Amino acid sequence: MTVAPEADTRPVPEGHVRLTIDGVEVDAPEGELLIRTAERMGIVIPRFCDHPLLDPAGACRQCLVEVEVNGRAMPKPQASCTMTVSSGMVVKTQRTSQVADKAQQGVMELLLINHPLDCPVCDKGGECPLQNQALKHGRSDSRFRDSKRTFAKPVSISSQILLDRERCVLCQRCTRFSKQIAGDPFIELLERGALQQIGIAEQQPFQSYFSGNTIQICPVGALTSADYRFRSRPFDLVSTPGVCEHCSSGCAQRTDWRRGRVMRRLAGEDPEVNEEWNCDKGRFAFHYATATDRFTRPMVRDAATGQLRDSSWTEALRIAADGLMAARDSRGAGVLPGGRLTVEDAYAYSKFARMALGTNDIDHRARAHSTEELDFLASTVVGTGPGDGAVTYADLESAPTVLCAAFEPEEESPIVFLRLRKAARKGHTKVFHLGQWDSPGVEKTVDIVGSGSPIHSGGLLPCPPGGEAEMLQELPAEVDEALCRAGSILVLGERAARVPGLYSAAVRVAERTGARIAWIPRRAGERGAVEAGTLPTLLPGGRPVADAAARADLEQTWGLERGALPVAPGRDVDGILAAAASGELSGLLVGGVDPNDLPDPGLAEQALRSAEFVVSLELRPSAATEHADVVLPIAPTVEKSGTFLNWEGRAREFGSTIERTGAVPDCRVLDTLAVEMDVDLFTQTPAAVSGEIGRLGSYSGRRPQAPRVAAPSPPRPGPGQALLATWRQLLDNGSLQDGEPHLAGTARPPVARLSAGTAGRLGLAEHQPVTVSGPAGALTLASEITEMPDGVVWLPGNSGPSRVNRELGVGHGALVELAAAEAPSTSAGPSTGDNPARPDNPAGAATQLGSSTGPGGGRTDDSRTDGGEG
Amino acid sequence: MTEANAQQGSPASRETAPLTPVLTRRWLSPESWTLSTYEQLEGYTALRTALRADPDQLVELVKSAGLRGRGGAGFPAGVKWGFMPKEPSKPHYLVINADEGEPGTCKDVPLMMADPHSLIEGCIIASYAMRANHCMIYVRGEALHCVRRLHHAVREAYDAGYLGTNVLGSGFDLDIVVHAGAGAYICGEETALLDSLEGKRGQPRLKPPFPAQAGLYSCPTTVNNVETIASVPYIVNGGSDWFRAMGREKSPGPKIYSISGHVENPGQYEAPLGTTLRELLELAGGMKDGIPLKFWTPGGSSTPLFTADHLDVPLDFEGATEAGSMLGTTALMIFNETVSVPWAVMKWTQFYEHESCGKCTPCREGCFWLAQVLERMVDGRGTEEDIDTLLDVCDNILGRSFCALGDGAVSPITSGIKYFREEFLALCDRNEGARGTQDERDDKAGEHGRSQAGDPALAGAAR
Amino acid sequence: MGVFDPLKGFGVTFSTMFKKVVTEEYPEVKKIPAPRFHGKHQLNRHPDGLEKCVGCELCAWACPADAIFVEGGTNTEEERYSPGERFGLDYQINYLRCIGCGLCIEACPTRSLTMTNEYETADDNRQNLIYTKEDLLAPLLPGMEQPPHPMRLGDDEQDYYVHGPDLARGAGIPEDETVETGHEEAGR
Repeated sequence: MTVAPEADTRPVPEGHVRLTIDGVEVDAPEGELLIRTAERMGIVIPRFCDHPLLDPAGACRQCLVEVEVNGRAMPKPQASCTMTVSSGMVVKTQRTSQVADKAQQGVMELLLINHPLDCPVCDKGGECPLQNQALKHGRSDSRFRDSKRTFAKPVSISSQILLDRERCVLCQRCTRFSKQIAGDPFIELLERGALQQIGIAEQQPFQSYFSGNTIQICPVGALTSADYRFRSRPFDLVSTPGVCEHCSSGCAQRTDWRRGRVMRRLAGEDPEVNEEWNCDKGRFAFHYATATDRFTRPMVRDAATGQLRDSSWTEALRIAADGLMAARDSRGAGVLPGGRLTVEDAYAYSKFARMALGTNDIDHRARAHSTEELDFLASTVVGTGPGDGAVTYADLESAPTVLCAAFEPEEESPIVFLRLRKAARKGHTKVFHLGQWDSPGVEKTVDIVGSGSPIHSGGLLPCPPGGEAEMLQELPAEVDEALCRAGSILVLGERAARVPGLYSAAVRVAERTGARIAWIPRRAGERGAVEAGTLPTLLPGGRPVADAAARADLEQTWGLERGALPVAPGRDVDGILAAAASGELSGLLVGGVDPNDLPDPGLAEQALRSAEFVVSLELRPSAATEHADVVLPIAPTVEKSGTFLNWEGRAREFGSTIERTGAVPDCRVLDTLAVEMDVDLFTQTPAAVSGEIGRLGSYSGRRPQAPRVAAPSPPRPGPGQALLATWRQLLDNGSLQDGEPHLAGTARPPVARLSAGTAGRLGLAEHQPVTVSGPAGALTLASEITEMPDGVVWLPGNSGPSRVNRELGVGHGALVELAAAEAPSTSAGPSTGDNPARPDNPAGAATQLGSSTGPGGGRTDDSRTDGGEG
Repeated sequence: MTEANAQQGSPASRETAPLTPVLTRRWLSPESWTLSTYEQLEGYTALRTALRADPDQLVELVKSAGLRGRGGAGFPAGVKWGFMPKEPSKPHYLVINADEGEPGTCKDVPLMMADPHSLIEGCIIASYAMRANHCMIYVRGEALHCVRRLHHAVREAYDAGYLGTNVLGSGFDLDIVVHAGAGAYICGEETALLDSLEGKRGQPRLKPPFPAQAGLYSCPTTVNNVETIASVPYIVNGGSDWFRAMGREKSPGPKIYSISGHVENPGQYEAPLGTTLRELLELAGGMKDGIPLKFWTPGGSSTPLFTADHLDVPLDFEGATEAGSMLGTTALMIFNETVSVPWAVMKWTQFYEHESCGKCTPCREGCFWLAQVLERMVDGRGTEEDIDTLLDVCDNILGRSFCALGDGAVSPITSGIKYFREEFLALCDRNEGARGTQDERDDKAGEHGRSQAGDPALAGAAR
Repeated sequence: MGVFDPLKGFGVTFSTMFKKVVTEEYPEVKKIPAPRFHGKHQLNRHPDGLEKCVGCELCAWACPADAIFVEGGTNTEEERYSPGERFGLDYQINYLRCIGCGLCIEACPTRSLTMTNEYETADDNRQNLIYTKEDLLAPLLPGMEQPPHPMRLGDDEQDYYVHGPDLARGAGIPEDETVETGHEEAGR
């Protein structure tokens, strides 16, 4: 935009029109809405229904202005939120037009006649657009003398959202958001006239992963959060910008806190990343940091009692240092940092392993993983970033074709899902999914039913689990052609590591079609950890361990002697655990790792038990702390600063939100621990680490070869067998979601999905529980007949009783046994029968829709995942 | 029965009154709704003529005939048809708006009851002209009998080869779907009708895009009134000059005036556009029981009221507008001296309050407020201030609402106060006169009201 | 200095002997302050004993000295402290900070917070000068019942605010200070 007095002499820029707003000439891009042009000029026109990311509605009529087109004044004031600019238009807003001003005041008065005057008890009070605009543009008193329309209130439309219909101004932002952006049209307008109201269908609550956004965009206090209800007022909140620590989307967020406690989190604005949205997990799952069982002091295992006891930092660090040094000097120590670290913390782990422990036995991938993945990360992922070859959100949005392989966008990276949906909704992006069934995330990126005509593009390419690589090599011609169009993108998700040959196949397909590859891990810390070198074959900055020059470079920066860095590539997570279990490794340094996330939880527990010395850096009790000799408490994300790299490789820096709590980040703990071991890491603060990473720079040598692993055909299930498809749901048993029962109420109920054919062969009736057995045991879930390939069963990875790694001991793509369970039950089914020692997992109650007091608080230790923070 | 009231243009009456039975010509024939009767009375002859012509010729014919939309707005039908893209890249749709809900209006339902085939013939010709292969007739759900007759007539037309594939061997395909609405006044608004037809909530859409670009299922669509489309076969048969011979220069053709209320013979009277109420009253046998006329609506309750002073206003689009009202649907509701204007206005406002779709603030909240104030006034609890409030609220609704429903809702109030302010004042006077007792009532009822004003404690917390 | 000046001085002394004595004999004789003296705060109750405070924090918002801390809570059918949805779960006034300006009581939308004439708020430690909700709540007058308890005077908060005194009288709650309208209170 340009505002220039001499505008009439200058030519109108290409694709722009020149108009006059309040006497000022302005050039605006064609198709821009009047309200935005005015806003860019600094003229704020009041509005309620208008939202820049939603389609215009023109419902509230608050933004009326006077408009003159082609020298003719339009007879009625026009809604500036629906009218686009045109050449020669003359617009008068409330600042220069009596008519517009009166129209706006009139609408404001009408909005208020049925609005309750309950601002003092309303959560929105103090940050309410209606309140602000009523004070700014409204009358000082009301002429309304009659009775207001009343409704029962509040109504719970999901376990986390409360609806107050009296306050609602029916701007339809929430319904439009749900319909257009999230694709979850569970809320709609009901009735008509003055009785019109927002509502949900009976028995069908507002089950959306993005429902929290409606609270944020509601311009009045009609939609409020059950969790934040009556907790505080805007004026006593301190708002700190931050970055979400849950998934690799890297959402900007705003944390509102009071007296050292986080009261709520809101989506931050970042057009490059999350626009103005976030998911409910990012919004509501923050109570884990204030859980009562959080560690505040270091603990050491008392030799006499065998129990952990509080200790001083000095004592704990001394014992830890001695133990680790002994382990190092005996058979060595391995490091398992976990996938939720900031880049700085991961870097400290990486440096600690190499310098203090002298080993490359470090791997942050606390999940299924493979050597092929390691090669793929080293060859294709590390060292890229936005503007440096990596795929970005903007690329996804403008891509002609996106093919998601072994990736479930809505469950694994909700903001990627929103972008894919946005791209598909604009009608120029075809989204294909290589998966097993038409999951909600697939459906909503393929079939777009919103305002306007329905769009159908892309689709599901069904394949047996484990057959993704094979399928990728033999794509249907239509998909293959689409993928050949310039700008196409191939997305790989977390479970790609479970499919042998998938990375290799993806690289080949990318080479052949020109499509670019995006690797989207599930956890916030994974991408950054790759850069920080917490991998057995990679040093910080993408330097291969095998490259002597790279090692020398690092030795110089770290002030080490030539050849001080370990030369041999290290073991990966499985290798470290196996070595520890068999006594080949003496010590373990464990960050936020939960055995249940690992392919073989039993092996992990055995390793923790067998290792001579275990140091755990943890936030809250976990399987690791149960066996640890020393537990060192670390700061949760909210109490430290740092940087996450999101899946794009984009640095998402954040400052400390709540300060002076005494909690210290991992990098500081490791630094001090190293000092005790006579090693200087210089990682006292995240800022110092960040500086060092900057100085270090990234690897400029030749990258290792991309993996070339042949894709084996998936096994054929025999009678009574099936191939297991599984992935994690967004809201599940993860320990970072602890303490938030309202959020758990919107988790998707755990069910086992199988095709009608598979069910028929088992003699399974619809919803009859099915028992799935693997090498480690069995679990029973209610079944749901779903359109998917025969001989496949799908289970949620870690929801309620369905904790696949632990109960079955196998993962995506493996053969499992199926049997119809005897007792048909309406609930999600009993937890497994063959593990009676394990306490029932209350998280199964998450299936009770709309329950306001769901599970959460009482989870047992072994139900946690994504172990604490660390 | 409505047909019984339809006035046939007998030779005797033609000399004294300007009746022009065109659309209503067949209404009194025995079993007029059957295909056989229709065919006997020149039925489907126009269709054969039309199918021989080029579609664009038909559009030109309708343009030159000057046929204006009969649904209320009076937009030239030929021009509207001309907006449809010439080369179909997407399916084209013709949608007939038969959701006749305007209070006082009773012309489309009788037409479809008595002569459904004229509408169907019109639909086929119009669809052919617009290159549409699908036509929907959206009928008001309450008119159940009418829906049945239409269904029957459409079935007859299919059986006779007028509908379906290859209509009369011309190679033109057309399917007609009769759809019953669910009883919402707003669905008479064309875009709300389209949404409703798509199975969505009936609320008006944002324009642009206009239906001719993206209407039903985002495809080019024309929405026409029943009477408009039913006129088309006659224009095809009679030609534009014949059509223009009736009515006035800018509003040619005949029009069905539905006269209701305090007249001797209420019913449908088809007369050229521009006929005055004085002439129509003569046709309808004059005022009932000779009680003088007090006020009337020229085109349903959404058009500002007229009084006895407007008896000679020519009832065509221009004439009604010049006199400060609108032609609307030519639903003439006649009220005699016995009717209280505020009461009638209240009833109408209650209708709009009930029928407001709720999408936009001015109409949703405004009608709610207006109805309450009027109810209070009629109940004798109004004040003079209320009249000003009414007018100002009307001003805040008129031209501020999303669609024309809000504009229509305020016209009885503003025109009622304009012509009959003293009646509204009289209600307030009664209020004043009853001060003695009223004061006591106020004291009781107003205790809280006053304390509310004086008591800051209540200002915030009480709703 | 003139000759009569010393006498003038005595004149002052003499005349003062006939004026009212200013000296206070506090604490033996307590001074009664003016009716509108800004003393210690009080959190009032509805005639049935439910609290008037809705935890809206407007007092805290208005306070120029940041002396007030409030946190709201949700009433449930089982545990109700005030009519309506919200009540003051935590309420604290720090009298070390309070400047007695009275802006808080003007901000109060429910007339829950008022000021008494009580001025003896000195103490010898800081902790005691942070008054909590228990210290501030008005005493239970005859007819009042200690919350939590259900709404006794009506079905919703509107009944309390609009018809409270009438309903209370109807419910047989004794007259005088327990039940009075704003007008009555002002006239008192």
